[in-house]
Amino acid sequence: MSHRDLRALISGETPVIPIPEPAAPNPAATAPHPSHGSAVHGTTVIAVKYAGGVINVGDRRATANYAVMYDRAEKVLPIDDYTLLAISGSYARSMEVVRYLRHSFRYFERSQLQPMSLDGKLSELAKVIAAGLPAAMQGIGGFLPLLSTYDRTAGEGRIFFYDVMGARFESGEFAAAGSGSMQIRGVFNYIARTRGPFHTMDRRTALREALFLLDIAADLDAATGGWSKVLPLAKTISAEGIEDVPEPELAELTSEITELEG
Amino acid sequence: MAFTPFDFNEAVSQRRDHANEGLRFGSPVVGVSCTEGLAIVTIRRSQRKVFEIYDRIIYSAIGNQSDIEAIRLGAVDLAAREGFQRSPDDVTAQRLVGFSLSPALKEIFRDQWRAPSIIRALFGELGDVAEQDRFYILNYDGEFAAHTDRAALAGSAAAEDRMLETLHASMGDSLPDLSHAIEAALRAWATGSIVLNERHDDDSDSAAYDDRALRSRLREELRSARVEVGILERAPNREARFRLLESAYLDPIVALLIEDNAAGNGLEQS
Repeated sequence: MSHRDLRALISGETPVIPIPEPAAPNPAATAPHPSHGSAVHGTTVIAVKYAGGVINVGDRRATANYAVMYDRAEKVLPIDDYTLLAISGSYARSMEVVRYLRHSFRYFERSQLQPMSLDGKLSELAKVIAAGLPAAMQGIGGFLPLLSTYDRTAGEGRIFFYDVMGARFESGEFAAAGSGSMQIRGVFNYIARTRGPFHTMDRRTALREALFLLDIAADLDAATGGWSKVLPLAKTISAEGIEDVPEPELAELTSEITELEG
Repeated sequence: MAFTPFDFNEAVSQRRDHANEGLRFGSPVVGVSCTEGLAIVTIRRSQRKVFEIYDRIIYSAIGNQSDIEAIRLGAVDLAAREGFQRSPDDVTAQRLVGFSLSPALKEIFRDQWRAPSIIRALFGELGDVAEQDRFYILNYDGEFAAHTDRAALAGSAAAEDRMLETLHASMGDSLPDLSHAIEAALRAWATGSIVLNERHDDDSDSAAYDDRALRSRLREELRSARVEVGILERAPNREARFRLLESAYLDPIVALLIEDNAAGNGLEQS
């Protein structure tokens, strides 16, 4: 006779929200699989602090090898009311991870009747990155996220980035990920040194600098999309939660930057 | 010794008595559709009573605390698993209650070697428009019933009937806004509470309808307890639809309702 308790009787005993594993890599393969390049990849995303929190911007391009697969990709995604994830790398894997995190954070909060701590959320993300490592080593499903959040107790925005094994780093001022990120690393430092730190800038100034950086990434990286046809995507996270930067404001700032180029 | 049909009936009826006794004095719960969304209103003492199950599903129950928790956690698990593996759009209260919770409760209820669950639960499901809102009341024996725009949950059928009548008297058939829905729900709560505490069901018909009696019942209760309202918002400006209303919003509504000289919007006038 079964003596499982009521909860087990209702919900069974398999994990409710299992960590998504990418397609099992072939243990015999040592070199990247020739087909890996045809999967869709997201390109450049940027996070910078500003006086009220954090701004995330991303281009809209998704590529597969040398083909532009999609020019309306959304790579800055809200996970919950105070967490933003900006994604780069394998599009399929990032979307699955975003879905996993959304469900997992909500499930924790609903079942435990308290929100998951920031540290808990950061570890959860590290776990999914680590779970994808074997496949990523063979060129399948590698992705790197930037996590931005607003710390309501300290009253400040925070930015975290990861390496492929799931190591977590906190950045004081800014972070970037994706194919165009290496090309613009030095520009962040130049801006911070010449214009003052990002976290002291007002929203519009920081947004303008972030868009400048994105434009430079598009110039220097073949895969990153410019904004001649589709506007980039920008979101802010502050004490009031997550907000989209309205399109008219983006249109104004991007044309201003384009004009400066002459 | 043989287990006869008589024994079976006797055992079932004893289990029913046992469960009904446990439900008898649970604080009634009211579910109402309103323009802003779908609200569940109750009065609590120590334990929180209104919970989010999923994006569009809200829950409250009366009965044994650990059974209320077991059903809550089971439902949260099921909804989360289905929503993750398929889609949040596929998680419905109908599937949850009809195909999973009800059979599980039935299995426990008929198992003579286990104590029956003591629970009567209310699930609310938010639709895109108010006409699509649904309420499900689930009983300890697995029986369940669907309702459309409002629902009452209490320890006796008489109390639930009276509560629905009070709701109807306050709101008619119209769709109220949130504050009116809360007001009407609190009157219904008081009706239920009065009916549950009556010694005899027959001689106090008028008491449960008298607005002054309802308000004084609320006043008395709220000395040591507090109003709890959970809502699923139809058009939220955040990621989540569910929230518990803050006392800053509730207090003025409650104060107006239980004020001694509140005469303007009483039932006698409506």
